[in-house]
Formats: sequence, C-alpha cells, structure tokens
Amino acid sequence: MIPKALAVSLTGICGPDGVIADRDRLLVYESDALTAYRHRPGAVVLPRTTDEVRRAVQAITRHGLPIVPRGAGTGLSGGAVPLGGAVVIGTARMNRILSIDAANRRAVLQPGVINAELSAAAAAHGLYYAPDPSSQTACTIGGNVAENSGGPHCLKYGVTSRYVTGLTVVLADGSVVRLGGQGREAPGYDLVGLFVGSEGCFGIATEIEVGLLPVPEGVRTLLGIFDRIEDAGRAVSDIVSAGLLPAAMEIIDGPTIRAVEDSVFAAGYPTDAEAALVIEFDGLEAGLDAEAARAAEFCRCAGAREVRSAKDEEERLALWKGRKKAFGAMGRIAPDLLVQDATVPRTTLPAILKGISEIGKRYGLVVANVFHAGDGNLHPNILFDRRDEDELERVERASKEIMQICVDSGGTITGEHGVGLDKKHHMPLIYGEAELDTMWGIRRVFDPGEVLNPGKVLPEETDPAARASRDDGAVGEKPAAAPAPAHA
Amino acid sequence: MSEAAPAAALVPDRVVLPESAEEVQAVVLEAGEAGTRLLPAGRGTWLGAGGWGVDPGTRSEPGGGGEAGGRSESGGGTDNPRIVSTERLDAVHHYEPADLTLTAGAGIGLDHLARVLEPNGQWLPFDGPACDTGTLGAAVASGVSGPLSARYGATRDNVLGLEVVTGDGRILRIGGRVVKNVAGYDLVRLFTGSRGSLGVITRVSVRLFPRPDADVTLLFGGDAAGAVAAARRVCTHEVPVAAVEVIEGDEGGVGRAAAVAVRLLGGVDEVDESRARIVAAAGADPSAALEGGESRAFHERRIGWEAGAGVVARLAALPDRLAETLACARAVAAQTGGATSADAMQGVVRVKGSCGEGDLAALAEGLLRGRREMAAAGGTLTLSQAPAEVAARVGWTGGGGEEGGLTSRIKSLFDPDSTLAPSCP
Amino acid sequence: MSAATDTLTLALKEQEEGLLNCVHCGFCLPACPTYRRLGDEADSPRGRLHLMRAVVEDRLSADSDAFQRHISRCLGCRACEPVCPSGVAYGQLLELARQVGGEARRPPLLNRLLLRVFGTGWIARPAMFAARMLRATGIPALSARLLSGDSTPKGARLGVAMLAASGSAGALPEAADPAHPASDPAAGSDRSSGNGTPPADSTPPAAPTAALAASPPPTTVGLLTGCVQAGLFSRVNEATARVLEANGYEVVPVPGQGCCGALHAHAGDLEAARAMARRNVEAFETAGVDLLAMNASGCGAAMAEYGTLLAHDDRMAERAAALAARVRDVSELLAARGPLPGAEVPMQVTWDAPCHLLHAQGVASPPTTVLNAVPGLEVLPLAGAQECCGGAGIYGLTHPRLGGWIGADKVRSVLDSGAAALVTGNPGCMMQIGAGLRLRGSSVPVLHLVEILDESYRRAGRYRPEVP
Repeated sequence: MIPKALAVSLTGICGPDGVIADRDRLLVYESDALTAYRHRPGAVVLPRTTDEVRRAVQAITRHGLPIVPRGAGTGLSGGAVPLGGAVVIGTARMNRILSIDAANRRAVLQPGVINAELSAAAAAHGLYYAPDPSSQTACTIGGNVAENSGGPHCLKYGVTSRYVTGLTVVLADGSVVRLGGQGREAPGYDLVGLFVGSEGCFGIATEIEVGLLPVPEGVRTLLGIFDRIEDAGRAVSDIVSAGLLPAAMEIIDGPTIRAVEDSVFAAGYPTDAEAALVIEFDGLEAGLDAEAARAAEFCRCAGAREVRSAKDEEERLALWKGRKKAFGAMGRIAPDLLVQDATVPRTTLPAILKGISEIGKRYGLVVANVFHAGDGNLHPNILFDRRDEDELERVERASKEIMQICVDSGGTITGEHGVGLDKKHHMPLIYGEAELDTMWGIRRVFDPGEVLNPGKVLPEETDPAARASRDDGAVGEKPAAAPAPAHA
Repeated sequence: MSEAAPAAALVPDRVVLPESAEEVQAVVLEAGEAGTRLLPAGRGTWLGAGGWGVDPGTRSEPGGGGEAGGRSESGGGTDNPRIVSTERLDAVHHYEPADLTLTAGAGIGLDHLARVLEPNGQWLPFDGPACDTGTLGAAVASGVSGPLSARYGATRDNVLGLEVVTGDGRILRIGGRVVKNVAGYDLVRLFTGSRGSLGVITRVSVRLFPRPDADVTLLFGGDAAGAVAAARRVCTHEVPVAAVEVIEGDEGGVGRAAAVAVRLLGGVDEVDESRARIVAAAGADPSAALEGGESRAFHERRIGWEAGAGVVARLAALPDRLAETLACARAVAAQTGGATSADAMQGVVRVKGSCGEGDLAALAEGLLRGRREMAAAGGTLTLSQAPAEVAARVGWTGGGGEEGGLTSRIKSLFDPDSTLAPSCP
Repeated sequence: MSAATDTLTLALKEQEEGLLNCVHCGFCLPACPTYRRLGDEADSPRGRLHLMRAVVEDRLSADSDAFQRHISRCLGCRACEPVCPSGVAYGQLLELARQVGGEARRPPLLNRLLLRVFGTGWIARPAMFAARMLRATGIPALSARLLSGDSTPKGARLGVAMLAASGSAGALPEAADPAHPASDPAAGSDRSSGNGTPPADSTPPAAPTAALAASPPPTTVGLLTGCVQAGLFSRVNEATARVLEANGYEVVPVPGQGCCGALHAHAGDLEAARAMARRNVEAFETAGVDLLAMNASGCGAAMAEYGTLLAHDDRMAERAAALAARVRDVSELLAARGPLPGAEVPMQVTWDAPCHLLHAQGVASPPTTVLNAVPGLEVLPLAGAQECCGGAGIYGLTHPRLGGWIGADKVRSVLDSGAAALVTGNPGCMMQIGAGLRLRGSSVPVLHLVEILDESYRRAGRYRPEVP
C-alpha cells in the first residue's frame, strides 16, 4: 500500500475518482490478459492530461515507488503486471482523439484511445489506422506503442512502429520530451522508433502522432481448408515466393477451429478440417480477382481440400471475427492456456508446425495453433488445467522445446506480444551478454533509477549494476519469482 | 564518388579495410586507445556529409600498421580522422528468396545487391540519395529514405537486424532476420540513421519485396504552381500511388517549367486502372508516360540526383505545406544556381547547388533563413552536403529539439570517448 | 461471509464453465458503459468477474466495500456478453454475485423499497395509480422543466422527470397528402384531442378489428402486461394488443400473471424472482398460449431465462424452460408477419436498441424491419444506439449520478441525430431517456415501437369502428 501522504498528493492531482488506493479494489489490476502472474499494485492513478501524468510521476518517484503504465490490460506477456508494489498509471481516461489531419493522413491522440475506434473515427475521412492486433476492439494505442503491436494485416502494411511519427513522453524524472512529430522527417536518432516497443520501461507516451492510410477500395478474402496443417504452411510459403503480396495470411488449426465454431463467433469453418488458411488481398478493385485466383490455385496445389471465397462483406467479417476472437474462444476448451509468440522464417513453417505437433504428442498435450502465417509469426497455444501438477510440468517442458526449435530455425522469441515478464528468461536464447548489457544501458539512458516497469523485458542476472540498484530499495520489493508457465 | 569539398577538407590519416567484424573491432579499439577519430564509411559516397570533406583516396589494409597509403604521413594522434571502410564486408550471408529476407555484409554495393536479387524477381526498394552505387551499410547508417517510402516504408521499416561494432568496441548482434520481432528494445531503429556516430555497421538483414509486374511513370508538365497543386491532388487521391515527385527545371524532361512524376507499381490490371483514374483526375493527358524499363531507369537515375553537388539541403514539413516548403527551397536554390526535387507524398524537398569561391557567408545566411522559416511552420532543414565553413555556421540539423538530452546520453553509451565521428547525427 | 461464500461457490461451481471461461482478454472493457465513463477496471465486466473469482478464492470478502460497490454499480446491460469470445454468462453471474452481496450486506433502503413496490401487487397498483394521478396534474412535467439544470438532488429530479416522461407523446405529424387512400382524417384527430386531458391509460383497450388481406394461421399470444408497463404505459399495452391482432395474432388474456421478477433478479433477490417466475409460469401455462408477447425487453430477457432461473426447482424446471422458449419480443412477432403495412407517418425518428433486447436477447433487426414497414417514416442513425441509456431498471434511481452521466451521452446523441422522436422498446429506457430529454429542456418525445405502428394502422383505418 502506498503512504497516506502519496495518496493525498495523487488525489490532489487526479481527483478523488482518479486514485484507487483501496486494497480490495486494486485486486483487478493484479494481472493483464496473462493471468498466471498476479501482483497487486500499490495504487492506481487515472490521469487525464500530460501534465497530470507528469505530476503523478514526480509524486510517486518522490516516495521511491516504481511505476507501471497500463492501457486496457490486454497484453499477453505480463507487461502491465505491477511488480514490487508499483503504482499503476492507467490511461483509460486519456481517451481523446486530439486531431485528425486528413490532408496529411495523420492523427494525434491520447494513449488511451482504442485502436479500432481510431479507425472508426478516421473512416469519416476515408482513412484508417493500419496495425490491427487481434485485440483491436479493446486495446489502446498507448499499449500498441509500448508493445510495437502487430496484427494480421501487418504482412502487407507493417507493424506499429511504421505508423508512429511523433510522441510526447513523460520520462521517469518527470520531464516531458517531444520526439519526432509533424510527419516522419525529424533529424537525429530515431528516438520514436527506439521508444516504440520499449514496453513501458522508457517513459509514458501521453500524446501520439500516427500516420493513417486510405481505406482500400476492394477486398477479396479466401478460405483454404486443409486436412494437414503442414500443407497450409506450404501454401503460405509458395504464395510468398511467387511474388504475391496478400494483405494477410492467417492459419487456424483444427483444435482452434473447433473452439471457434463452438463459440458465439462461429465462422462456418468445417470442424473436421485440420487447418483453415485465411488469405486476404486488398487494394484497387482491378486485379484483385486475378490475385485471389492465383492464391487459390497455390492452395489447391498444396493440397487444400476446398477453397472458398467470402461472397460478401458479412461473410468476410465472420471469417475475420472467428480468427480475431480465437484466443478468447480457447477458454472453452481448457481452463488454462499458454500462448507463445515466436516468429520463424516463413520457409520453415511446415517443418516447425510438424515439430510443434510432435512435441505436443510427446508430452500428451493439446497444442492449438492460430497465427499470422504470412509473417511466420506463430501462436501455439498449449491447453491445460493448472490444477493438474503433472500436466503443468509437461507444459513447461513442451513450451521450452517449442521455443527452442523456433529459435534454432532462425526465429525469435516474440513477434508481437512483447517480452514482458513472461519471456524475459528466454532473452538469452537470442541475445548474448553484450546485447543484454547494452539494452540495460539504453534503458538507463531513459530511466536511470529503473523506476518505470521494473523487472520486465531484461533478465536481471545479466547486469550487476541493475541488481544493485534494485537491492538498494529504489524500486521497492524484488519481483516475486514468476510462477512457472504462463496461463491466459 | 564524393567530390572533396573545396574548403578546409580534412585529410584522413589512412583508410582501413577490415574483412570481418572482429577486425573492425580491433580497428575501433586501437583508434580509441590512440585517440584517433574514426570515420565509418562504405564506398565513401557519404564522406562529404558531416563536414569532414574527406578525400577518400587513401587506402590501407587492416592488421598491423604501416600499410597506409600515400597520404598517411599525417597519422599519429592528429585531428585527422581514420576512415574505416566496410567495403570488403560484402558477402551475401543468407538469402532465402521464399522468405523475402536477406543478410549481407554492410559493404555490399546496392548495385551489386540488385543484381543478386534480380533473377528472383525481388528487390530492395531503397531509393534514398546515393542508393544507386552506395553500400547497404551506408544506406542504413544514413537512414535517408526516398520517394518510394510512401509505398514500401522508410529505410528503418525494412531493416530487420544488424551487426555493429560500437564506438567502444563491442560487437552487437541486434534484431534478427525474421520480419516481425519485438524481443527487447529496438536498437536496430536506433542505429538506422545514426550516421556512424554510435558504431560501425558490419552486417545487415533486410526485408525484400517482389518486383511488381508493372512499373509506369506518368509525367505531367506545367508551371511550378500548377505542378504543386496537381501533385497534392494525386497525393490525396483515392488511387494509391507508389511515389509522387515534383521536378523543377529540365530534369523533368518534358520541356516545361516543372513536371509531376507519378509512379505506379503493382499488378498489370491494377496499374492500368490506376493510370486511367489518375489521368482522369488530372484532367489532362500526361506529357509523357514511361513504361517498364524506361520508368525504372528514370527513377534509378534520380537516385543519384545529388551526386557531385557542392551543397545539398533537405527541407521537410507536412505534405500539405508542399508549396511553402518548395518556395523556401527555391530561395536556397537561387543562391546556388541549383535545382529542387520534391517528394510530394512525404513533403520533403531536396535542393542541390554548387558553391564556388563565392559568398559562402551569404549562402550560410540563406540556409539559416530557410531553416527559421521551416521551423516556424513545424518543419526542418538539414544539410546533407556543404563546405565545412558553411556547415560550421549552419549546423547539420539545427539542434536536437525537445528531447531532453537523450541524444547525447545515447551517444556516450555507445561511444563514450567520441572515437566515432560525427559526434551526433 | 462463509455462508455467502458457500452460496456463491456452489452457484459458481455450477457456473464453472462460465466463470473459468473468462480468459481475461479484456474485449468487454470498451463495451461497458461504466468502464467507459469511469475508467476504473473494477467497474468493467472483467474486473467484476475478477472480484467474483476473488470471493470464490477467499481472497476477498463479499461484505467488502469493493465487492459491494462495483457489483452494485453494474448497469446489468449485458453489452459485454455479445463481445465475449469465451461466452461468459455475465448476466447470470452478476445476479448470483448480487445475491451473495445482498446476503453479506443488506442492500440500501431505497433499493429494497423500489423492489418491494414492483414485486407486490397490492402495493404496486395503488402506487402506480398515485403516480398516474400525479402525472395527470401536469406537475411533474412542469417541475421537470423548472428543475432542468438546478441543484435539486439528482435522484429526485430524475424521478420526477421520469414520471413526466412516461406520459403520452401527443400528436404525431400527419401525412402531407391527406388523400392517402387508407387514411381516415376523422379518426386522425382522436388521439390528438386526448392530448392534455388525463392520459389514455385509463381508457379501456380499443376493440381491434383485424382488417387483413391474407390470414396467416392463427397464433395465440399472451401479453405480459407487466408492472411498470401496466401502471404507467397502459397505452403501450393497448397498442401492442391492437397491432398484434392486426397482424393476425390472437391476443388471449392471461389472468393471474404478475411482475416478471427481472428487477429482483438483477438486484440479486433471486428467491423473490423465482417466486414471481413460478407464478407467471402457472399463469401462462393455464392460458394455453402458443407464444408469449413481450413489449418490455427487460421483462422479455428475464422470462426468456426462466429456465435457468428455475433450473433447480424440480417441479418447475422443465416447464419453465419450455415456457421460456416461447418468449418473443413484440418486434419479432411483428417482423415475422411482415408486418402488415399501414398509412403514412411522415416523420424522422431514431431507434435506440434496448440492452435487454439487443445484448441479452440478441434481437437486432426485427425492430428496424417494423419501422421500415411504416410508410413515410425515416429512421435516422443514432450514434451509440447499442449503448446503454443508463436507465437499467432501477439504476437511474439508485445511482442517479453515474446513471445521469451515461444518460446524458444518450440524450446528446438523440439530439444530435436530428430526429423528431426517439423510438425504443422498453419502459425503463423510455422513462430514462425521456427524463433526460426533458431535463435538457427538449420536447423530443420518446415512443414505444408499437405506438408508431399503431398510429400508422389507425390512420389506415385498420381499427374501424373506432371507439368514440
């Protein structure tokens, strides 16, 4: 719990409604969308302006407490879990779109604006915001900036960092800096690019300038049905190497298909299939049919039993809805699930998918795959029940093996969910001591006292200085050891 | 490549050509100990930038000393910098066409790289200044994007991973070779565009693209004001275009005061349709239409637009201020007898000119005036090339803005002794 | 606490699928009006489910301020249910949580009193009569105007305004072309002449004569007359009966029916709700109707869930489920028959979807089908039509400040829509939005869906002979 004096000063800054210090009420902030990690914050503040954030940061750090920024808490890496009695600065009330500049195709917004609502507002100008994480109806742009979020259509359009052109950031020392802005040409280091994906460790973005794109005139959506998931993986690889550039290519495997079809978002996938491949092309109407026909042919050649095309917008939305809500629908097939986020080179997809399925079989576990196949960004979901201790252990081992084969293929441990609390122990799989020490260094450039989101992204062991600063109490209690696997 | 600037050119004590990251590391460590400043380079295309005015005519082999070429007599702890060129780090380490990714040594020439990719119908759509003959490493280090970035993303959006040797001699392998990667802080973006001030880039992984089937450039001639208005119309038109440029003077090649070059890339049907709709929106037939190889060649020529110019500046503001930005650029051009070239989609106008023995003070004054005008509207003016005397008065970027000292703290994290030059981009 | 916990634990064990299904994805946050307004995750569905789980896990007392406050602050609009990918039965869990909360700590007097009024016939009837008389004096309408923007306690202001808003909307605009073949100008003045006199609530229902072109097979329906609906909106009940008959349904009286129990269930008084449900099951079974017609979507949603409510009542479970399966909103019944077209009602309206129709019952398109069938009627889009108006049963009275904020958003979008009238399908919403409009000094009327259709039929002469 936070000292009374701090509660009083925070109330002075954010108003009585904007400060939550009651222990019981704070329970709901103990997790993000990865519920394996539970750490109750010391308090939650809900500021409305940059200045309120600045003053809150100053007040909190004066009391020596760490700070964790939080958007909608939809993250899947434990990134918004407050360790060490940290005070959460929530952006839920910073949800205004400050301006939409149609002539320059950009918008300036507060961090709490919901991703899909930005696109909805931009639609009046024939524009939209391209990055579309599966949680886009709920997640905030501020959270997207922190995690450098992706989404299905990032295959063609790129991830968040391509679209963020300027930031107003409150740093840990309470200073306010402006990075980039007014388009993309700011001279000097790409501090905007460095900040995007820093997982709340560098500062709190309080105003965000993003680029918008014109809404594509036409869309074609295909659904390939496969009896073997490796075949779907091969189709993806063939389509990419043929020079086609779909807006999105997504694979949904058998267990996931069955979960989705059983939910309120049933999309009409055949429940006996082992993979469904959603392919979407967008752009000018002219030429879309030809591209879709070529992609359909690649699916058939790879062994698709059937290729459907969405007949109208309603069918198209249903296909996507099924894909986008797949994660939630998993809740129906098992009480707990561990979702991974490795990215592998696209050509290795068939082999990796086979490998994952073998690992699952070897450990007697159900692994449901639903992922951004076009980017090679996998989301193997291991389903389990945490009350079964033996299963829990098998999950942990299987998870490690899956991560290892992905890294061995030339891949990385996380493509879009972020490292957070969940994957920081996997960082040494891809980075050596020199890289990790450098990341510690860059973190301290922004936040010398490790005030912001301590205990995330980087494993502690690599840096003695970091350990020392934690031990001297600067960031409160040491983070509790992470419970074994991640449930979601 | 680069013509040495006439005034106050610095003479390198020698040029070293390491063949591995470890050799680069040795060079960096040695320079650090000796207090010699190092200037990372590829083929030397960018050496004129940053005020060094270095003549890269001197070569040296790495490893033991003594191999310094003809001009190395001034070596040994002077202010003269040592050039570390990555030219020999030019191997293709990993290229799987179906992955649309490639990893190569930083010293590979972009011309060479294009020949590697061509047989697979792929390309790296880097069309920033000097991306025709410069190296991959230099393109990444300079981080300056060309008109195609509206379609393909800026340089920084297409760099997946880097191997660098930092100013204090650490070898770092950051990012990776997969197209989506959020593991750890994004040091790749930090190094992209850092202009050699943080480390020497030794290896680069990039994202590739399939070469589109159709490549068409429509050239609309007109007067200057009309060209800007037409360019803006195309930029905000519903039809997505790959690039829109406003070219003043003869270089447009249509015999008018200015030309708008609209580049269309994509499938054949898509480009045909786009072309019809752009022409309809323009209300006039184009003065010329370049197709296929002609279109490609036209733009490849333009990549080298700045080569040989004594002074080059880059003015940027929001795209809807194109007319004002262009006016500001013209004022500078008028002083140097130069020309302008505008990327209408990004709102960037480049100006190049020559500077004789004439009034350098007046040129500097003009550039500063331009920068003040740009800043008043939220824009920027940066120098890419200038005589040292002018650069010293004007400054390359005009200051760090409101970033609270982050830039210098980052610099000292990677290069605490300022071994690498320039000190900051 | 332990008894309460046991109850909830037991109940939740049965609902395990429901509670454990929540994967904490957060998709429900933006759908939740209280979260949108307050920004506190404890006031979101995910947060409330987390609090419930904490009680089950013995980490939180049901008596705690946190549990009491956030569980009670839920509107119960169930906008979170359609967006939940895991299919969490939030509405049912909320009712259980409220029951536990109520056992742990006695609910406030106001809540208990209000529920008492609705649930007990001998209190409800005189109370509603008194309310009608008060409304007839015109005092509430006047007070609502005078009170708009003053510092009177919010609950009192809203209550008065709601009462005023429950009154008849008055005359609807006539067709520009009075020579419309089916319209009857003589009959057209009937309703408007009633304006200003004691409302038509007290007049006996018109005896409708169905003037039908083609007769579909006769279906008998029993109308839930409801407590508020019968008390303050009897004109809506009458109109419902008329339009149903006009569309070939046979409306059969259902003696012995009472309050549906929705408000009690929402408040966690599940025992009272079950008693009311049993009574209604008996009454409607005895009446032997094919379908149950609902013109209050809150009641409709409750009755459609009688099967779940009485799942542990050995005697009633099956019967309740069977009855629940026959519950239909009046808009569904009408849309299923076309509905039959009437005469022109030339006005611009906008439709606000009641939460318990759209979210709880998943009835989305039938109301629009009905409105589109009225010639001359233009349905303008309403921003946030799918969002709660803040009425939420007795919420507007128990949480006037928060309900008022949420209601203000709705009122603003109604005014922004430019419509001459707001159409909805639930008495609570009609009063809440109507009150909000009146407090803003607006005279935009709030109508029930059937009132529009009824007027269209009346003008078309489908009810001849008219009651003089």
